[in-house]
Amino acid sequence: MSRNVELGFLAAAVFLGALGIGMVEFTQGNWLGAQVALTFVTFSLAFGSVHLALRAWAPNATPMVLPIAAFLAAIGFIEVYRIDSELAALQRWSFLAAGAGGALTLWLLRSSGVAVLRTYRYIFLAAAVVLLLLPLFPDSWIVHGATVNGSRLWVRLDLPLGGQELSFQPGELAKVFLTIFLASFLAERADAMATVSRRIGPLKIPEPRHLGPVLVAAFAAFGVLIYQRDLGASLLLFALFITMLYVATGRAFYVGTGLALVVLGGVVAYEMFDHVQTRVIAWVDPFSDFTGAGYQTVQGLFAMGSGSLTGSGIGLGRPDLIPAAATDFVFAAVAEELGLAGSIAVIAAYALLVTVGFGIALRARDRFRKYLAAGLSIVVGIQAALILAGVLRVFPITGITLPFMSYGGSSLLASMVIVALLTRISHEERS
Amino acid sequence: MNAPIRHVAFTIIAVFALLAVSATYLQAVAGPTYRDDPRNARLIAWRTGRERGTIVTSDGTVIARSDPSPEDQQLFQRSYPEEGTYAHTVGFTSVLFGSRGLEKARSSDLVSDRDSNISGVLNSLLGGDPRPRGLQLSLDHELQAKAEELLADQRGAIVALDPTTGAVLAMVSTPGFDPNGLVGAGAAPEGAELQADPDEPLRDRAINGSYPPGSTFKVITAAAALEAGIASPSTTFPDPIELELPGTTSTIRNFDEGVCADGAAVSLETAFIRSCNTTFAQIGMAVGADGLVATAEAFGFNEPIPFDLDVLTSRIPEAATFDTNPPAMAANAIGQRDVVATPLQMALVAAGIANDGEVMAPYVVAGVFRSDGTIESMTEPVVWRRAVSPATASVLRDLMERAVLSGTGRNASVPGIRIAGKTGTAEVSNSPPHAWFIGFGPVELEEGGRAIALAVIVEAGGEFSESATGGSVAAPMASELFQLYLSGS
Repeated sequence: MSRNVELGFLAAAVFLGALGIGMVEFTQGNWLGAQVALTFVTFSLAFGSVHLALRAWAPNATPMVLPIAAFLAAIGFIEVYRIDSELAALQRWSFLAAGAGGALTLWLLRSSGVAVLRTYRYIFLAAAVVLLLLPLFPDSWIVHGATVNGSRLWVRLDLPLGGQELSFQPGELAKVFLTIFLASFLAERADAMATVSRRIGPLKIPEPRHLGPVLVAAFAAFGVLIYQRDLGASLLLFALFITMLYVATGRAFYVGTGLALVVLGGVVAYEMFDHVQTRVIAWVDPFSDFTGAGYQTVQGLFAMGSGSLTGSGIGLGRPDLIPAAATDFVFAAVAEELGLAGSIAVIAAYALLVTVGFGIALRARDRFRKYLAAGLSIVVGIQAALILAGVLRVFPITGITLPFMSYGGSSLLASMVIVALLTRISHEERS
Repeated sequence: MNAPIRHVAFTIIAVFALLAVSATYLQAVAGPTYRDDPRNARLIAWRTGRERGTIVTSDGTVIARSDPSPEDQQLFQRSYPEEGTYAHTVGFTSVLFGSRGLEKARSSDLVSDRDSNISGVLNSLLGGDPRPRGLQLSLDHELQAKAEELLADQRGAIVALDPTTGAVLAMVSTPGFDPNGLVGAGAAPEGAELQADPDEPLRDRAINGSYPPGSTFKVITAAAALEAGIASPSTTFPDPIELELPGTTSTIRNFDEGVCADGAAVSLETAFIRSCNTTFAQIGMAVGADGLVATAEAFGFNEPIPFDLDVLTSRIPEAATFDTNPPAMAANAIGQRDVVATPLQMALVAAGIANDGEVMAPYVVAGVFRSDGTIESMTEPVVWRRAVSPATASVLRDLMERAVLSGTGRNASVPGIRIAGKTGTAEVSNSPPHAWFIGFGPVELEEGGRAIALAVIVEAGGEFSESATGGSVAAPMASELFQLYLSGS
């Protein structure tokens, strides 16, 4: 029953994507052609394979998660195609790979369920650390880092066959692995961390050894920031650590300490790094440096303002004027062409997805499943909120992808794995 | 165990709610400010980068076109192949300097409705053509280019139209400008220079220049006398060397400071041919304020002219203001003091007389055509107003022909073609006089034959400066235009 509902909504999302591509084609003077058919086939294959995997290995899972992901992916893909059809052609392959990744995840967990992940938690931790360090590998190695837009957060793999290069952003998968590790680690230690404490005056603080993870989180985030100059990933990782500590212990102390560290770290980073300063200036008063630091922010504001209530219509705006419109600023492109109506729809879809995720966490049977579902929801929610807040000028631009919507294979693969894990947990609590 | 999860969930949902509020503010409240920011390239693209319809002259010369931009597939580049020749009439669309001319007035035809609104989309779905319409103007390329060449670097304007239809054949204002320089990138310095130029090159003097009509206004004074029946061409008036105005010490003299005829009596006809101020001041006072103002209004004064572009209204004071002020009455009767007219209005005066007393509504857009070249609509000539009776028109044609044959308008004559006209040398304070000529040809319209009525004004005497007269500066230009249009050389 759930799966048939899911199939119906999925079909709607797939048709939405194909229809959007058709509208872009129409506004560019082309009539319905191969692009529309290709999009339809790609989306059917990518989301269809995850859907079939759910039918086979997680039939009782909630039907809410996959269609919301497909809806966001369709809206995002329409804008990516509209901004750069060559990027969109690559993105189609990413969709197929992400669909396969999601299905593969469900197949791997088919008999023992997510519980098996606990067994390998230190492998996940090690994998996450290696993935985070990969971009620092020197250029002469087969697997080596690459600097893109001043941030060293890419990895290139030089394939021995024909000198082909394969690029990916390992941080995207690392955050999923870290979530698995944290959920498993905290499921064991949470009680001790929550109850044991010592008093300093009126403050009840945890044992110093339990503060360890917080400090590790802070240092890891700072490490990422210093060596990879990646403000977004560093903030996301730190927020994930702190929030999961709170989920596991219920102690506001962690949140307070975390916020204090963010403020402190922010001040230090502002003093130490030019690129952080630039972003803060671009946030406070983007018009003061219109042609320089504030350019991207201002172009985003122009795009969203021009979109107004109902937008210019798909294919009829100028989102191509915004730097990084297909990746970090894809939301501004949606806001321009679909207007406030489209903006609210996208924000609501993320809120709904996160709500469904936390719902799965609340109903899950044991601590590990709860923490894992909550952690994955936190990753999606905070990542989406961080970049949306940057585009909407609620927060400085952090340079991070919008899950499901931005151009980028690594992000899409990680997002689809999250969908697979959430649906699997849902299946387990409903069986 | 679930409470912290709920707290985190509520917090993240609250953040999304905050983001929704923020999006609403940015797009619905502050949106128009961002949208209309002059640095928003969308605005530039929207105003100047959209495909706009082609504009051609009556003979098919392309004077405005849109071509795909070489830099950006989605944008079009507007260009004006004839540069400044049609600058004021066609106008331009510029982000920094606004829109002018037909580019502004007819933008609903010239802009594609494919991307504007729901009705445009519905229209295209129902099989309508969403691409922009083109305009065919009534302007004659040869005549327009000749008029521009004649004015050269003098300040002035020429308006020529077909008196039987109201179709504008030429409309030039100088100094002009090249609209190509105002639409592209880097237009700022050039546009600012044009805006600051004391000669006002951006102003369309043909329809927005307001000048004392001088002696060309004697046509209207004569018309008023004929219509009122108080004089015929042979009616005589006293011929003083200096006309004393009742109730004052001020006087009116003739242009050459002499008598008009023999110093005793002068006929209306002779006074018209020689353009005598002393006589026409008397005629004006004899007609009275009511008759003079009514006749001027019958030709279109004090009323907006229906036209494709906004025209400054030509003005004569209300009749009541002259009751207690005979000198003002006399001065207005010879086209001085309060009365002001646009070149288009004075061309319509000539056209009305040529067309048996009926003034046709002027138009410059002859037709609207679709992107495939088929005609969507054609402008039908309509009568705007009757200025004078056919009989009065006939007498005025005769008077004006004589003025060209043997009077002040001799320089407007064309061998082998009957031309009628009236010169004007309008006095202005602190400046050399404006040189005027209004006229038409041929005097007897032939069925199916060409006809032209025109007004020429050269501000401040042009190259002749203080020594300029309508006859010496404006009439020769009219002659060349008559010759070109009526005999093709």
